Amino acid sequence: MRIDPEKCIACGQCEVYCPIGAITIGDECAEIDFDECTECYNCLRMADCPTEAIYQQKLEWPRTVRSVLSDVLTIAPESGISGRGTEEMKTNEVTGRFKHGWAGIGIEVGRPVLGARFYDVEKIAMAMAKLGVEFESSNPTTSLMSDVKTGKFKDDVLNEKVLSAIIEFSVPVETLDQVFAGLKQVSRQIETVFSLCVASRIAPDGSIPTHSIMRQNGVWFAPNGKTNVGLGRPLTKEDSI
Amino acid sequence: MTHTLHRVGNPESLSRDYILLFMPSKDINHVGSGPKLRKMLEISLKNGAIRIGDCRLGNEYHQGGLDKLLEHVEDRAVVHAVFNDLEKMTAALKELKSADLGLSVVVSGLFDKVRDCCKKAGLTPHTVNNTLGRWGRTDRLPPQDILELNTMCGHGMVTVRLIEDIAAKVKNREITPEQGAERLFKPCMCGIFNADRAAGLLDAMARK
Repeated sequence: MRIDPEKCIACGQCEVYCPIGAITIGDECAEIDFDECTECYNCLRMADCPTEAIYQQKLEWPRTVRSVLSDVLTIAPESGISGRGTEEMKTNEVTGRFKHGWAGIGIEVGRPVLGARFYDVEKIAMAMAKLGVEFESSNPTTSLMSDVKTGKFKDDVLNEKVLSAIIEFSVPVETLDQVFAGLKQVSRQIETVFSLCVASRIAPDGSIPTHSIMRQNGVWFAPNGKTNVGLGRPLTKEDSI
Repeated sequence: MTHTLHRVGNPESLSRDYILLFMPSKDINHVGSGPKLRKMLEISLKNGAIRIGDCRLGNEYHQGGLDKLLEHVEDRAVVHAVFNDLEKMTAALKELKSADLGLSVVVSGLFDKVRDCCKKAGLTPHTVNNTLGRWGRTDRLPPQDILELNTMCGHGMVTVRLIEDIAAKVKNREITPEQGAERLFKPCMCGIFNADRAAGLLDAMARK
């Protein structure tokens, strides 16, 4: 995003809408730190700029990555839906993506507040790749990898900054302890934060198999989260039997 | 996409914060899903949802009103309804079950309360997604009260600076907590920001 200095009157209306604080107001006009800007569109959409000084410059690769992973209304071609992730557990009763005995992992790097550079996303992905995980192919973050076996990203995206990027994969529940150990280690090597989630089928007796593993590993989990109530149709084969 | 997950707050604050998410699945049941999604939103509104939203095309302000939001719902949209009352949400779930529209429904909120709602609505929960909190440089994050407001928009559009600005205006009595909460809602394009809960949080911040 850019601000036209010829039009800007430094009113400051746009400043509060930048999620990563990339807008500063000078004596005569506002300025966007172009390297920090994630192309989320929030300033253009919300600031109601009185002189229409904010404008979207032409986006070219690799900067296009910023828009896909930061502007909520941009549709990702990989998933076909808006936002940064996939259907994950939200349609699990019809896709069967996460079966009994498996856990779905979502590592949303940069969320909340801080945003992320892809060199940090890569550190986490490479740590997980060492465990032999298979990254979700319909996820727009996966599509930026140059090698999905190692978690290496394309060199030209490494310095791109986005509001968040989700590393997504599934593992057998018995290997969750390795995931947690790897994440604890790599979390000390990054400049930003990540929000972590673990999805799981509910067992026939109503229990949630991942909970005991999280407790055993001393991993905190919140009392709130998401529950798929099973209304989608047709049901996946696992549930139709 | 985990935009309704990772909401920060204590159980008391979260007890008035529930989101229903409605979604078709690509290449399985997405064809013709638009009218069904619209029906799900209408059922939610009828049963007392305080807000509805559409991830694909934006919230009611962005689209120019609730009628337009409902009118524009497309196949492959992801739409939501926010509730601040468990009984009303349970009634909506019961009606959604009866309507049997065949699209996925996900409830975000306190697990024990959601489980009770499902039981009353005759639903058997299928899959859960737990949030395991924030890892890494958490020392760089703002205080808890700011995070509680910020994380109600999972895409981060309700910015820290906007929250600080609105909280200061509420504290100085330039605007009411309700007016402040409504201003915070507007950038949340998916419409999942719970302005009712936000008003309470802003009021508490102003009393500090």
